[in-house]
Amino acid sequence: MSSNSEFSVRVEGLGKRYLVPHHHESSARMGKVAAHMRAFFPFMGHDERDFFWALRDLSFEVKPGEILGILGRNGSGKSTLLKILSGVTQPTTGRAHLRGRVGSLLEVGTGFHPDLTGRENVFMSGVLLGLKRQEIAAKFHEIVDFSGVEAFIDMPVKRYSSGMYVRLAYSVASMLRSDILILDEVMAVGDAAFLDKSQNNIQKIANDGRTVLFVSHNPRAISAICKTGMILDSGSCIFQGGAREALIRYMRKVRNFETEDATENAALHDLTHAPRLSEGRTKPILKWVSTHRADGSLARNFKTGESLIVRIGYENLTVPDPYFAVLIHNEFAERVTTLHSTHQGGKLECRSSGVVECRIDDLRLGEGSYRLMIDSGNFGGSRAVMVSLDCVPSAAPIRVDLDGYVGGIGIDGSQGAVHKSSWKGQA
Amino acid sequence: MTVEIRVIEKQRQFGFGILDVLERRELLAMLAQRQIASRYRQMLLGVVWAALEPLGQLVMLALVFGFLLKVDTAGYPYPLFAFAGLTGWWLFSRNLMAVAGSLQDNMGLISKVYFPRLILPLAASMKELFDITVMVGLLLVVAMVYGYFPGLKVVLIVPLLLFAALLSLGLGLWLASLMVRFRDIRPMLGLILQAGMYATPILYSPALVPERFQFAYQLNPMYWVVELSRWALLDKSVIITAPFYWSIGVSALILAGGLLVFSATEKKVVDVQ
Repeated sequence: MSSNSEFSVRVEGLGKRYLVPHHHESSARMGKVAAHMRAFFPFMGHDERDFFWALRDLSFEVKPGEILGILGRNGSGKSTLLKILSGVTQPTTGRAHLRGRVGSLLEVGTGFHPDLTGRENVFMSGVLLGLKRQEIAAKFHEIVDFSGVEAFIDMPVKRYSSGMYVRLAYSVASMLRSDILILDEVMAVGDAAFLDKSQNNIQKIANDGRTVLFVSHNPRAISAICKTGMILDSGSCIFQGGAREALIRYMRKVRNFETEDATENAALHDLTHAPRLSEGRTKPILKWVSTHRADGSLARNFKTGESLIVRIGYENLTVPDPYFAVLIHNEFAERVTTLHSTHQGGKLECRSSGVVECRIDDLRLGEGSYRLMIDSGNFGGSRAVMVSLDCVPSAAPIRVDLDGYVGGIGIDGSQGAVHKSSWKGQA
Repeated sequence: MTVEIRVIEKQRQFGFGILDVLERRELLAMLAQRQIASRYRQMLLGVVWAALEPLGQLVMLALVFGFLLKVDTAGYPYPLFAFAGLTGWWLFSRNLMAVAGSLQDNMGLISKVYFPRLILPLAASMKELFDITVMVGLLLVVAMVYGYFPGLKVVLIVPLLLFAALLSLGLGLWLASLMVRFRDIRPMLGLILQAGMYATPILYSPALVPERFQFAYQLNPMYWVVELSRWALLDKSVIITAPFYWSIGVSALILAGGLLVFSATEKKVVDVQ
């Protein structure tokens, strides 16, 4: 076999357009009919405005055993792509080659009928997904065990709780063992325990060396399972590469992170017009924010283990017990730490306007980009009576480099706090 | 071991699609079984409804046409005369409706999982054939109640009903994809089937139709299903004429054309639903 034929999925110039009649015709209904006619009979002329391209000239290749996470906002063409690859709908242009048996899960509970019992539905759904009756019978106990609904297996599924229903449905699907597996956001089911179970199961499938195409909005799932990632935007691929990098780019895009490099920007940010969480509640308190190194110089790049100083300029602060907080978020928009002025105990001394400084002497963040959220308000002596008066969710970006703080494979911003550790073998 | 490579692209050629269905016959069996089971589950009388429903209609028709209007049936008791004709017609009209609606009714499946779509109309037909079996049993009982003990040729009812099923399958396949796009077809089809029932000698004897219309009248394939069913069950005489062969040929063309049209259009229904 020559090396260039070693693919599992190869997509070439794939495009899909939908008929979306526009409304420039005199009557909307007639316009629709006319558009359908034009689509059917080419001689009536072609009007590009009648069409919407859900996918446009998409090409990529997936190697055997690769687990590709497909990212993209709603309407970016993810589902259309999976539908085409699983054969549910046809592409308008281009082609896709798939090597081996293809199994696809575009929905949990495909083919479930509410009036039939759990047992009957397991068989129905399994056969629909392409399993043989015998295979299902052989795995029946495994399926029921996995779902945890043994006691109700001979009851119509319409009497199931919604959790039981999806668990049983998912369990059937999890028995699918094909060379190429197409999964669309199917693991977001069940309670936390079941979620773990199903994630482990996908990981197991992946470790078997099968090719998996996986669409999910859950960044944790993608980063835990996928090896490579792809970002779709308006039907085109805007990035294909490592899963982590794809995720970071995608999260930035979704959260409207600034994409410019941190070093090229000043480390002083005017907050007077920044978007706020407490729009219009009181007069804005936060005026500006800046980030500094230990020597007081402005900076946006820091090293793990060094100092970080955040200065906040404020005004209109009239409450009796003011507080300030710096909340640090990673690239996945997950909070990694909270620095609160009440942490040091005692009352924060400040006037109605001025500057407050927050200082950390040993930054314990892993490598990556972060975003500071700044909050201020009144602290009434307990968590229950804390009132936020002004909060800027995206106040200042910073970047942290590990720079040898810990050795080996290092640690990044999604892996938690950085601690130096010593290891010793014992006899 | 060579691994099969599947190529997905815009469909270029059409076929009958029968082989693909054979490969997934387990699915066909399960879908048919599901339709039957889900219909009668949770009904107190269960499968008896497959017989009760037409029986009720039959009583009404017999009262109006047999008792009040006294339609001439050449000596046969009206309920039996009508029932023998209605059996084939019911299969035809219900199957046509079920097959034509099979894609639209299963849009949830079609948009989420791939399988040969021809399985859906076939499963619908299998359910109708199951229902009609119950009715044929009932028909035989009614015949014996009236003192008609049919001979061996009653077995010919089976191929006659199969012919009606295939014909309605063929017609339904022409309409199935269109029905997804234009919902208007369902009520329209109901109306046409009503007309078709009166254009077929079900409630009256074909002798009532003037001689000059007979050729066109007999081109209707269902004419032959109805008349031959009466011949098989009641020994009512039938004369095989030229339109008999014509109607068989036309039916074969309808079925073959239906399969081709279905194969050419089913891929697109998911986009227009």
